[in-house]
Amino acid sequence: MSRGAGPGTRLRALVQFHEDPALLSWWTARVAPVVGWLDAPRRRRLLSLAALAFAVERMDDRSDGPAWAVWLGAPILVGLCWGVWRVALELRRMPLAVRSRPQLFLHAVLALGLVAFWTAPAGAPRQLLAAIVPMLPFVIWRLGYLLKTGQRGKLAGTKLADHLFYLFPAWGGTNTPYGKGFDYLTGIEARTAEAFARSQLAGVRLILLGLVWRGVVEMMAAAVYADPKSPLTRVLGGWTLGVPRLPDLVPHPGSAPLGVVWFSLYLELVWVTLRLAMKGHVIIGVLRLFGFNAFRNTYKPLLAESVVEFWNRYYYYFKEVLAEFFFFPTFVRRFRHHPRLRIAAATFAAAFAGNMYYHTIEQPAFLSRSLAGTWAVMHSRLLYCFLLACGITISMLREQRRRGMDAPAGGAAGRLRRIAGVWTFFALIHVWALPGRDPDIFGRTRFFLSLFGW
Amino acid sequence: MTRAERATALRAFLRTIQKPGLPVEGLGEDEGLVTSGLIDSLAILEIVTWLEERFGIDFATLGLDPGELRSIGSILDLIGRETS
Repeated sequence: MSRGAGPGTRLRALVQFHEDPALLSWWTARVAPVVGWLDAPRRRRLLSLAALAFAVERMDDRSDGPAWAVWLGAPILVGLCWGVWRVALELRRMPLAVRSRPQLFLHAVLALGLVAFWTAPAGAPRQLLAAIVPMLPFVIWRLGYLLKTGQRGKLAGTKLADHLFYLFPAWGGTNTPYGKGFDYLTGIEARTAEAFARSQLAGVRLILLGLVWRGVVEMMAAAVYADPKSPLTRVLGGWTLGVPRLPDLVPHPGSAPLGVVWFSLYLELVWVTLRLAMKGHVIIGVLRLFGFNAFRNTYKPLLAESVVEFWNRYYYYFKEVLAEFFFFPTFVRRFRHHPRLRIAAATFAAAFAGNMYYHTIEQPAFLSRSLAGTWAVMHSRLLYCFLLACGITISMLREQRRRGMDAPAGGAAGRLRRIAGVWTFFALIHVWALPGRDPDIFGRTRFFLSLFGW
Repeated sequence: MTRAERATALRAFLRTIQKPGLPVEGLGEDEGLVTSGLIDSLAILEIVTWLEERFGIDFATLGLDPGELRSIGSILDLIGRETS
């Protein structure tokens, strides 16, 4: 940085410290030798060992059965992964039904597991399946990526042990695979000391950013929502705006002044975005510490100027699951000669059908065969997913029409207007995506109408 | 059609879908099309359509691997492999 740099430049340099060449060479010289023995193959082996512990721990978290079921279930789950790895490896020799639709085959295996669980007699077999089944939504998308790697012919020479590190990722994650699968991770893996240092510095920065967002979330909880669980609420000595949370307002339309309700609606969007960012930053930060310089899960979605841009930036790895397993397969197979219909069909396959499917198979009510319970929790989401798919389709078609043209006019005011439009769209449809069964779709719609004085 | 001719055709196509103000000529074969800012991620779909129409590549059979469309070089490799 030059001596005469302004405050803006200095701030930018501070925020972008991970790209500072001096720091990078210091890190490479001082820190890299400490972990010099930790080259890429060793890092993966370490992650694979941690994966086994992670599998048991995650299974234990999701199971309320006896400990023996977890200890027996974990190797069975790894055995299932071995079976899918073998299928992926030998995909070209598999029967046509499997070869041509490997993802359908995988989800048929999931369905068989569920049917076995639902029909298993009470006792040990059922307890064992009760430990394994809640893990299936966790591994299914990761195994999907494994099958895709097999389809691309990139599995030759690998063993199952080479895949454990992302099937049971020690860096964390939800049912959504943060870091995707083998192809993506091996493509971004650091192979030199400098690349490793660069990835680690980017990881440190992202973890710090995650902690900053955690602080902001805690501050919001105390200063905006007066959340009694936030440690800052007491620190602020009762000073708070006392804005009601959206989930508390939706069941009671008209219970607060309209301005407060709209304020709460927008705040909820900020709240869920920051919470997603703070968790995702730490997960991806840890992944980067291990030399995988992966994309962030959340990247400035609140500054997006179009619905589709927000969707790409809000929850990147979930969007990738929907894109890879629903959007692209539909796009390349359906309506090739009708460009707009092609995009609409692929978007609905992903944002509507895929989104519903993803959330349905992870519902505890669904896993325990309560279809009424599943409907109660999921039916509002049908409308959310439908509106989301409509919004993304329209936004994609608009972006496509504008491609190659100059940026939209209007300057800063125009930009603010576009951002406000995106906020409004996602804040409004979130009413039908709030978790829980109450209120039902009609209650949520009543709340939505009350926002406009109806 | 040689690789150089395909590269010329590809760059000419990219010019029609790129963001304004970024010269496609200066982009290296291995530079990411999206990460360099030349195109947005949705433009990948336009590249798919162009490859289907121009080179008859059938992604329904082949499967779509976004990694194969990440740079000019990887797209040329894909065309070379699928049209040979």
